[in-house]
Amino acid sequence: MDINKRKRELVKEFSPMLEKTSFVSKLWIVILIAILSVGLYAFYLQFMNGHKITGMRDNVVWGIYIINFIFFVGISYSGAFITGVLHFFKGSWKYAIARIIKIITVLSLIIGPIFILLCIGRLDRLHYLFIYPRIQSPITWDIIAIMTDLIGCFIYLYLTFIPDFAILRDSENLKVPNWQKKVYKVLAIGYQDTTTQRERLHKITEIMSVMIIAMAIVAYTVLAWIFSLTLQPGWNSTIFAPYFIIAGLYSGVGVIIISMYLIRKTFKLERYIRKIHFIGAGIVLLIISILFGYFTFSEYFAKWFSHKTNDVELLDTLFSRYFWEFILANYIGVLVPIAILFFKKLRTIKSITFAAVIAVLGLWLNRYLIVIPTLETPYIPIQDTRPEFIFYTATWIEYALSFAGIAAFILFFKLIMKFVPIIPMSGIIDQERCEEKRRKNTTEQVQ
Amino acid sequence: MERNLFKYPFITSFVIVLLLSNISFAQENDVTNYRMGFNLTTVKQPDNSRLLEVTFIATNKKDRKDKVPVFNAEIKFFNILDEEEELLGTVNTSKEGIAKLILPENQNYLTDEEGNINLTALFGGTNSLEEETAEISVKDLHLELNLTEIDSVKTVLVSAFTIDKLGEKNPVEDVEINFYVQAMLSKMKIDEGLISDGVYEFNFPTDIPGNINDNLLVFAMVVDHDEYGDVTQSETAKWGVFHKHIMKEENSLWSAVAPLWMYTVLTIMLVGVWANYVYTIINLIKIKKEGDEIKLKL
Repeated sequence: MDINKRKRELVKEFSPMLEKTSFVSKLWIVILIAILSVGLYAFYLQFMNGHKITGMRDNVVWGIYIINFIFFVGISYSGAFITGVLHFFKGSWKYAIARIIKIITVLSLIIGPIFILLCIGRLDRLHYLFIYPRIQSPITWDIIAIMTDLIGCFIYLYLTFIPDFAILRDSENLKVPNWQKKVYKVLAIGYQDTTTQRERLHKITEIMSVMIIAMAIVAYTVLAWIFSLTLQPGWNSTIFAPYFIIAGLYSGVGVIIISMYLIRKTFKLERYIRKIHFIGAGIVLLIISILFGYFTFSEYFAKWFSHKTNDVELLDTLFSRYFWEFILANYIGVLVPIAILFFKKLRTIKSITFAAVIAVLGLWLNRYLIVIPTLETPYIPIQDTRPEFIFYTATWIEYALSFAGIAAFILFFKLIMKFVPIIPMSGIIDQERCEEKRRKNTTEQVQ
Repeated sequence: MERNLFKYPFITSFVIVLLLSNISFAQENDVTNYRMGFNLTTVKQPDNSRLLEVTFIATNKKDRKDKVPVFNAEIKFFNILDEEEELLGTVNTSKEGIAKLILPENQNYLTDEEGNINLTALFGGTNSLEEETAEISVKDLHLELNLTEIDSVKTVLVSAFTIDKLGEKNPVEDVEINFYVQAMLSKMKIDEGLISDGVYEFNFPTDIPGNINDNLLVFAMVVDHDEYGDVTQSETAKWGVFHKHIMKEENSLWSAVAPLWMYTVLTIMLVGVWANYVYTIINLIKIKKEGDEIKLKL
């Protein structure tokens, strides 16, 4: 196999993604920037006026920002987990989705923590977290875990990009701006795809993939402990850490399926992102949805059966004021994906994507039900205060910033895809190289 | 007390209505269930003024815990000597059923031959509530509190006397007296004894911390005495002793320093992860070096 020729072929195949921007794509970028601008204006208002322009008050101190934070960080950790696991699988199929997952992982880990910053009433005191950390506090653990994990994910993503940067650097026919070529050159760090370089890169990537699996579990466990180590009804649970990990995987796999569907459609990558990927991801989603349903049932059943006063109050709240949200999150959000994915006949690309959308929306609502009703039913009853101080309703500021987060995620995803092919070319070459080696070995054995 | 008010709003409002209104026919049955408590006390305060206090509370005959303060009742305070009667003041009871009257230091009292001041509190009654009176008789006891250092020993000196009509001081005998210092929430007893020949003396403890300026507020109190009633005197001295509490703080979840295992685990984990990052970067540098060498050869 002529490696250089194959590289040129692949660059030729994927270069339209990097060279051209369609009108629809440009329109999307404008829309996303507009949403981001509204979000920035909302942030300016919040920064100038404080939390009084949000729905958060003394009693309900956390709103949809923390839900977005848990949600995005959950997606990231599940992405890190899945990408780490994928590294140990052999087969060309994994290359089609590996980079999508890695980008999702890093982007959601960048955007997620921004939401926690929005929860802080006095951002000017943010540095106190670093100057006066209390090592006993799960919040401090979370800061350390998120920062360490973010750096780890960045390094891991970069490691997997290096061979592709080298291919793009060496592609003379690639019609991209000069600055972009210079960036490829710098980021390729002189990688020439020699056997020593390849082996060295493979070794450190393998170690990093193991590490980010462990870090994902540790970091998301710590995030769950922020809630479960308190005595709040609805939070103080021993199964919260594994429950969070399963929930994170549930939303993560859902977002991966949705991303796969959109990228496949937009870039016409049917040759690489095939039905088998959707079916595989769908089966993983089915298993996780069953596990997630089991954890959810176990969590609420134990609360209902033990009948502790505050737990009963919380359940009463969930089944009265939040009745429909509870049904949507914990019944529809679990049972519909199971129903779709369980039957082989229903496992089409569209239906699997639909199940993923339901799962993601259901899980976001599930996070909402974990945070808000608990804060609305504290141990000490809330008295002599206005109803709007007791019950939480998000304001347009919070929605604007939430949508800005989603817009930023999509925008950055699009920009990364303009910079590097979404299907790793080096992965395809590596796979073909392995297959050729195997073929040679088989032929030699036969002879 | 206040809780009772809210607990039995009907009874409270009903007593108020009885006091304010002459029309009381329907409620009479309820009032009969209550026994009226009407008590008068007097305290001679540190500034030598005299506090007269009436507590007017109705107690359920069947349930002693059910107490209802009588609100807005007009109480008249008199100083009486034989047929002579001097009105000292008129005060209405508060929501707690308490009426307080403070008489100044220079108040001229009518006293009998033995120096007794006869004080009376009177509630005139309404259509529903009967007239109530309470009397008390006290002698005007003077307490002088001196906080001095005698031979570098912090000494508390109290002289207690009455003044007769000729203006002469008569030392009192065998009067029980208690000494306190003002603590954060209440008074802390530091000594007690009997006044002998009008004097009591003791050495002040040397281990009591003071306020931020090392000041201590010392009280000398005669409490519920048959002849003199309640008499209080106070004085401030810079006698507080600063005690630095040296407490060995153990590493715990709630102390300033975390448990050792927490530092250990966190350090091992972080060092492990960051060492791997460093290892990765070193390998990337090696890859770069090799790339540069190949470039040079070409």
